[in-house]
Amino acid sequence: MTMGRTTMGKILWNLRFTAKMIHMLVKMKLTRMMAFRLSFFGGFFADGAFFVTQVLAFQAIYGHADEIGGWGRGQTLIFVGTFSMLNGINMLVYFFGVIRIPRLIREGGLDVYITKPGSALLRLTFESVDPGCAPLLPLSAGIIAYGARVAGIHVTPGLAAGYVALTLLMALLYYDMEVILRTLPFFFIGASAVERIEGEALTLNFRIPGVFYKGAFKVIFMFILPYGVMATTPARMLTRTLEPSGLIHALAVVVVFTWFALWFWRFGLRHYKSAGG
Amino acid sequence: MSDNHSPVVHTRALTKTYRRFDKQPGLMGGVKSLFNRKYIYRTAVSSFDLDIAPGEFVGLIGPNGAGKTTLVKMLTGIIAPTSGEISVLGFIPNKLEDGLKRRCAVVMGQKSQLFFELTAEDTFRLFQSLYSIPEAEYRRSLDMFVEMFGVGHLTRAQVRTLSLGERMKMELIAALLHNPGVLFLDEPTIGLDAVAQRQTRQFLQDVNRERGTTILLTSHYMEDILKLCPRVVLINDGRKRFDGPTDRLFESYKAGMDEDIGSVVERIYSDNPDSSGNSSNSGNQGNLGNSDNSSNLGNPDDSGNSGNSGNPYNQDNPYNPEGGRLP
Repeated sequence: MTMGRTTMGKILWNLRFTAKMIHMLVKMKLTRMMAFRLSFFGGFFADGAFFVTQVLAFQAIYGHADEIGGWGRGQTLIFVGTFSMLNGINMLVYFFGVIRIPRLIREGGLDVYITKPGSALLRLTFESVDPGCAPLLPLSAGIIAYGARVAGIHVTPGLAAGYVALTLLMALLYYDMEVILRTLPFFFIGASAVERIEGEALTLNFRIPGVFYKGAFKVIFMFILPYGVMATTPARMLTRTLEPSGLIHALAVVVVFTWFALWFWRFGLRHYKSAGG
Repeated sequence: MSDNHSPVVHTRALTKTYRRFDKQPGLMGGVKSLFNRKYIYRTAVSSFDLDIAPGEFVGLIGPNGAGKTTLVKMLTGIIAPTSGEISVLGFIPNKLEDGLKRRCAVVMGQKSQLFFELTAEDTFRLFQSLYSIPEAEYRRSLDMFVEMFGVGHLTRAQVRTLSLGERMKMELIAALLHNPGVLFLDEPTIGLDAVAQRQTRQFLQDVNRERGTTILLTSHYMEDILKLCPRVVLINDGRKRFDGPTDRLFESYKAGMDEDIGSVVERIYSDNPDSSGNSSNSGNQGNLGNSDNSSNLGNPDDSGNSGNSGNPYNQDNPYNPEGGRLP
C-alpha cells in the first residue's frame, strides 16, 4: 500500500515536473523569438504563405474531379484539412526541435542536454515551438468544417471528440516517425538520405489517402512507414467510413511506434559518441 | 547513494575503445570502402583507476589526445565505457539517472549551455526549473555567485553580447546554481585573457573551499593546475602516469627524475606554447606559469593552494592508494 502510494507520488511528481518543464521551455522560446522582432512577426507570414501554397496544391489536384477512388469532394476536403491540421501541430510544437537532433548528434551538442535533469528528448521537443504556425490550426479546422458541410455530415459532439482524439494520436505517430528517423545518426552519421525518403513519403501520403494503396505499397505505408495511416484514419472516422479493424490497426500502430521511438532514442543515447573536444 | 566516506568518483580498470572507419584515400578508396569497410580500434582510456574523495580539487592533465575529455565524458555519463567499473556519487553515470544529474554539474569550455539570444538570467531561470531549486535558495546562490564574480550588471545582457570571459563566468554560475556535489570542468579557462583566468581560478577556489564542492579540472594551462589543485592526475595515451601531489609532479619534472613523466609534461607544453596561462610567459617552459619566481614551482603555499586547507591533499589520502608515487 505504502509502496503503491510512493510510486503514485513519484508519477505525480514526474508529471508535474514535465508540465513545468514544457511551460518553461515554451516561455523561453517565446522570449527568444521576441528578441528578434522581424523573426517573430515574419514567422506568421512565412507559415501563412506555406498554408496557402498547400491549399493551392490540393486545389490543383482535387479541384477538377468530383470523386477519386470512391472519395467524394467533401471527404477529400476533410482529408486535406486533416493533413493540414497534423502538419500544423507538427510545425507548431515539435518539428523545429526534432530536426535539430541529427546535427546535435553529429557535432556533440547533445552533451549539454544529456547532463541536465529530465528527458533530453522532452527538452528538444518543446524547446523550439513555433507560434508562427498557430494560425494553421484554425485554418485547417475551417477546411474540415467546410468538408463536413459539403459531404453532408452531421457532426455530433461524440464524433467530434473521437476525431480530435484520433488526430492527436496521429500527431503523436507523426512525431514518433520524426524521432525514429532522426535517431539514426547515433549509428549512421550520414543519414540525410533517410530524411529525404521521409520527405517524399510525406508528400505522397498527405496527398493520397492510405486506403488507395494496394500490395507492396500498402505494406510499406500502412505498417513499415505508416504515413498512410496518419491523415486517412481521422478523416475516415469523421466521414463514418472507418471500420473497427481500421481503428484497431491505427491504435496498434501508434502504440508500437511510440514504444519503439522511445526505446530507440534511449538505445541511441547509450551509443552516443559525443564528437568534439 | 554515497555516504560521506565513499569516494565521489570511483573507477577501476575503466576502458574506452573507439572504432574508427579506416578510409583509404581517393575515389577508389571510397568505392572499396562501400563493399569492404575496414575499422581501426583506438583505446582512448585504458584500465584507468581513480578515486576522488569528497571536497577534493583534482587536476587532470595530459597532452592533446591523451584521453582527458573522454574520461570526463564517461564520468558525466555522456558516453558509455567499453569496460571497467565506474561510479559517481554512487551512480553509474551512463544510466543517465536524474538522481546523479541533480547532484553533479559539468562545464565544457567549448560547449555552451546558455541561450545566446537571451540573457544569462533567462537560462538561470530555466535551470532553476530543471533542478527544482526553491526560489529563496536560487536567489541566495545567484546573489552570492554574482557578487563573487562582480557580474551583477551582466546577468540581464544578451549572452551573445558578452565577451568570452564574461560568458564563462555565466557558464560557471549556471552550473553551480543547484549546489552540485561534484563539478567537472573541461578546459574552463581556454581562450580567456589573463585577468578572466585569474578571476575564474579565484572563483573556483572559493566554491571548493566554501561549499565543499568536489572538483575535477582538466586544463591545458599549468597555472590552473598549480594554483588550484593540490592533487594532479597525469594521463597519456589513455593511461594514468602519475597520481599525487601537484608539487611533487613538478619537482620531479624539474629535477628530471623521471624521463617518461618529463616527456609527457614537455608534450603538454609543446601542444600549448601558451599553457602557462600567462601570455607574457608564452613558450617559457621553464617558468611553468609563474612569472614572479620560477623557484616557486609546485609550492602549494605560494601557488595558492593554501586556500584548500579544508581538504588538503595528503599522502595518507585513502582515495589515492598510489600515494603520489610515480609509476
